[in-house]
Amino acid sequence: EGLIEFYDSFKDMFEFFCKNTTIHGTIRLVCSDSNRMKTAFWTLLLLASFGMLYWQFALMFSQYWAYPVVLTMSMHSEPKMFPAITICNLDPYRFELVSEHLVQLDRMAEESITFLYGVNTSASLFHMNEKNIRIKDLSSVGNLSTSSFKLSQNFSLLRVFEHNNGSGRMHSSVGFRLCNATGGNCFYKTYSSGMDAILEWYRFHYMNIMSQLPVIINISDHEEQIEDMVYSCQYDGEPCRPSDYVHFHHPVFGSCYTFNSKGTDSFWTATKPGIPYGLSLILRAEQKDHIPLLSTVAGVKVMIHNHNQTPFLEHEGFDIRPGIATTIGIQQDEVNRLGGNYGKCTTNGNDVNVKLLYNNSYTLQACLHSCFQHIMVRKCGCGYYYYPLPPGAEYCDYNKQPAWGHCFYQLYNRLRNHHLNCFDQCPKPCR
Amino acid sequence: GAMAPGKKITARIKRTLPVKGPQAPTLSELMRWYCLNTNTHGCRRIVVSRGRLRRFIWILLTLSAVGLILWQCAELLMNYYSASVSVTVQFQKLPFPAVTICNINPYKYSSMKDYLSELDKETKKALETFYGFSEGKSKVRRSVDERNSTGSDFFKQIPLLKFEDFSKTATDLRSGQKRKIEGSVFHKDSSIVNSGDSNDIIGFQLCDANNSSECALYTFSSGVNAIQEWYKLHYMNIMAQIPLETKEKLSYSADDLLLTCFFDGLSCDKRHFTRFHHPLHGNCYTFNSGENGTILSTSTGGSEYGLQVVLYIDEADYNPFLVTSTGAKIIVHDQNEYPFIEDIGTEIETAAATSIGMHFTRSRKLSKPYSDCTETGADIPVENLYNKSYSLQICLHSCFQKAMVDSCGCAQYAQPLPAGAEYCNYKKNPNWMYCYYRLHEKFVKEQLGCQQICKDACSFKEWALTTSIAQWPSTVSEDWMLRVLSWDKGQKINKKLNKTDLANLMVFYKDLNERFISENPANTLVILLSNFGGQLGLWMSCSVVCVIEIVEVFFIDSLSIVMRRQWQKAKKWWNDRKRDQSGKPPEACDLERQGHDNPVCIDEDLPTFNTALRLPLPQDNPLPRTPPPNYSTLRLETAFTEQLPDTLEVEQH
Repeated sequence: EGLIEFYDSFKDMFEFFCKNTTIHGTIRLVCSDSNRMKTAFWTLLLLASFGMLYWQFALMFSQYWAYPVVLTMSMHSEPKMFPAITICNLDPYRFELVSEHLVQLDRMAEESITFLYGVNTSASLFHMNEKNIRIKDLSSVGNLSTSSFKLSQNFSLLRVFEHNNGSGRMHSSVGFRLCNATGGNCFYKTYSSGMDAILEWYRFHYMNIMSQLPVIINISDHEEQIEDMVYSCQYDGEPCRPSDYVHFHHPVFGSCYTFNSKGTDSFWTATKPGIPYGLSLILRAEQKDHIPLLSTVAGVKVMIHNHNQTPFLEHEGFDIRPGIATTIGIQQDEVNRLGGNYGKCTTNGNDVNVKLLYNNSYTLQACLHSCFQHIMVRKCGCGYYYYPLPPGAEYCDYNKQPAWGHCFYQLYNRLRNHHLNCFDQCPKPCR
Repeated sequence: GAMAPGKKITARIKRTLPVKGPQAPTLSELMRWYCLNTNTHGCRRIVVSRGRLRRFIWILLTLSAVGLILWQCAELLMNYYSASVSVTVQFQKLPFPAVTICNINPYKYSSMKDYLSELDKETKKALETFYGFSEGKSKVRRSVDERNSTGSDFFKQIPLLKFEDFSKTATDLRSGQKRKIEGSVFHKDSSIVNSGDSNDIIGFQLCDANNSSECALYTFSSGVNAIQEWYKLHYMNIMAQIPLETKEKLSYSADDLLLTCFFDGLSCDKRHFTRFHHPLHGNCYTFNSGENGTILSTSTGGSEYGLQVVLYIDEADYNPFLVTSTGAKIIVHDQNEYPFIEDIGTEIETAAATSIGMHFTRSRKLSKPYSDCTETGADIPVENLYNKSYSLQICLHSCFQKAMVDSCGCAQYAQPLPAGAEYCNYKKNPNWMYCYYRLHEKFVKEQLGCQQICKDACSFKEWALTTSIAQWPSTVSEDWMLRVLSWDKGQKINKKLNKTDLANLMVFYKDLNERFISENPANTLVILLSNFGGQLGLWMSCSVVCVIEIVEVFFIDSLSIVMRRQWQKAKKWWNDRKRDQSGKPPEACDLERQGHDNPVCIDEDLPTFNTALRLPLPQDNPLPRTPPPNYSTLRLETAFTEQLPDTLEVEQH
């Protein structure tokens, strides 16, 4: 056998080809049959196949060299339900039951500010105290739990000086001291800005005062009416009906109304896009009850959210300033997570370990808050005022649990640093 | 004899299910048998090929095909797993972006007095002359005289002119002289707004210092814009002469700007901010710039966990001609990105709480050949003047600055300095303004080639911002807050702060979802090859091996046959001629030198495709003529007639 061997003739070559080719099928018929007609037919077929092949190849090549990309996105424009809209007037109530304590707290805050920031006269620092607009005479309401509650003097605001090793300069910060039940393990919750310190300090006392309120407040007893906040309400050119909103009270954002919270009424079907076909409201952002140290902004808080979803205004709400017309265009993005092996998510929250304290549909925020509250009740023995209570627990009050602040701030810090396993326990919703 | 029933059964089994030995007596024979009968085509070619070179090439091809299969399968597997991995990461903390905050006014007006007093005096006088406000006519005239005595050259350099009906004359507004206008007219403003009233057109003329007939004319439909632009030109001239350290001192310090700071529920202070000097905006402060190596992240979304700052905007110390709005400018950007405050900054108001909610989107485009973008910017022939990672904006600015240095001899004030260049000022470069305007004109018209050279970056991060504003401080909380903040501001300022000097800013993530948009090639090499495979199988029931086979047989071999035949014909013709000359009779056919069944010897016609196929196959071939597919039901065993002796079944009993 030589290094290279060539065929001597076409016959030799074809013979070899027919004998050894690895194309199955057709070529056999071409090669083997002695019937001319058949051979011709099969040859034609073979050639046609060849033709098809090269045509397809050309198509594929041209497609390949064009380097196309894929981006999957779909758009829907069918009539949809208008989303739920929650509005709050940023004007938290001074509930009559606790109004006396709030006045005391304001006075204490005033004293602290005077102590920290010089002895300037502050006669009119808190207008509300003097005016007493909405606080009724307590005697008429009757002494409820007022006798048992006393504002604690243990958490007074202090100026803390610390040496900065780097520059050798003195840094002063303002804060208050928190200790555990035995009075040990103390730490200062300090802020470089006095404003932040005062706000946090006030919030801390406010939570204690508010814990006296019964868990279920009958809102209708309060003379707050929707007319006080919403002057005019129109949807799709028609006036809203009284059944269209749900009222609740938010401890920081005040009186809140959710329009179209269930999303089942056909009145709220969004038929056409455009300003005249949406919800238009004229709102009043008056601050008659205002608690000046609790919130420093004025206006209206708005949140647009899904039906049957608890609105977490502090996360996704936005502000509207009084005195201006605001137009908000909305557009819905729907994200579907695959779940399963592709990533943890939950379809309805039933498979989540945390018992939801909000009786609405599952959201990540609701799960995180519930998770924190459960841990809080377990570790500190009482519930955080801004979250709902699990059955059998009560809100924290430093007259009953003197060390809860110490416990709470440490726990909250751990949550923030992802040391509590709440972030692992709460998956994102799948849709 | 009587056999045990057990033995009977075994014998029966042996008889009905005879076990034959291996398919071949030796290992090489076995391999050969396998190669001939297998459905993997390459293997068969190795065996049937003639010649060692051919065989070697087929071995090489087969082996590389095996390698390719492994590689492609690995690629497919990796693709499959990477696609599912990218979505499993769920609860990471999202890195907080860098937030750069600038006061809209770049430098404290009070400390700029030394540098700007002359210019401001001139501007004031000009305003009085043009619009006659605040002072009477006699005073204006006196101020004109004063101007002559001070000998200021601001107006000599670039005179402000008033145009009359686009005639070729204009009135110099300072001296009242009429001038002839030469050169082309550029409209900085659109004149559509104010087209009816051509009397109001004010502008200035920039001439080539070397050749005064080369002039460009800039007109503005509004006097406000004309004066601002004119002021800016002079201002940049003055600022270009001040060294950077001095400028940093003239601008706001971190203590001046930042009153309070709060991040992720914890207090923060000026140490968390990095100073960054912007030529047009003075000292800006970047929160979370990542300069000390750590990039902060937020634990959860919501305004409580973002950045909250109260800014001190000293409105009284604003430059009245340079800036006409009050507030601060902020920009949210990546730590590696240069903040182009002047281009894409968001302005925030005083006496208001501005909350900025963010949605984070990361995008990734495929680079060449899918789209024309650049990964790092290293392949762009423009030097990056900014100390930051590549972006289109950086490239365009750098490109313009380079062109500016090349053609005008000095650098434009608003952009960083290239090595060895210095900023333009008309003491050293009297011609720069004309040059700059000409160049900018060209740049806008895409004649400089910058837009062609610069490409988009392939990957970029984007923070979509939602801004909402609330009244702040509310009327009831105003009193205590201003008092506390005034105290915080320190003893330097003894007056109580005014709420219009303050701006409250909140920047936070609305949720911790990261949107990642990436392009994937629709046609990868793997997909292309798979498509080929499908097509080949569908139409030809063959594989790449058989394509190569076709090339081998129909191109290389056919060509060699034709060549050989031509060679023999030529040889024959040559021999015939020689024989004719010698007189020897020609031989019929040279059988020894040619193939045993060379059709040339049988008849003179070349075989056609059909005749060649009709030729009978040799009978003495031990191999199967057409190996059928290796289905087990069709297994041919005639290939090996002899059987190994130890596998022979012999009935012994």
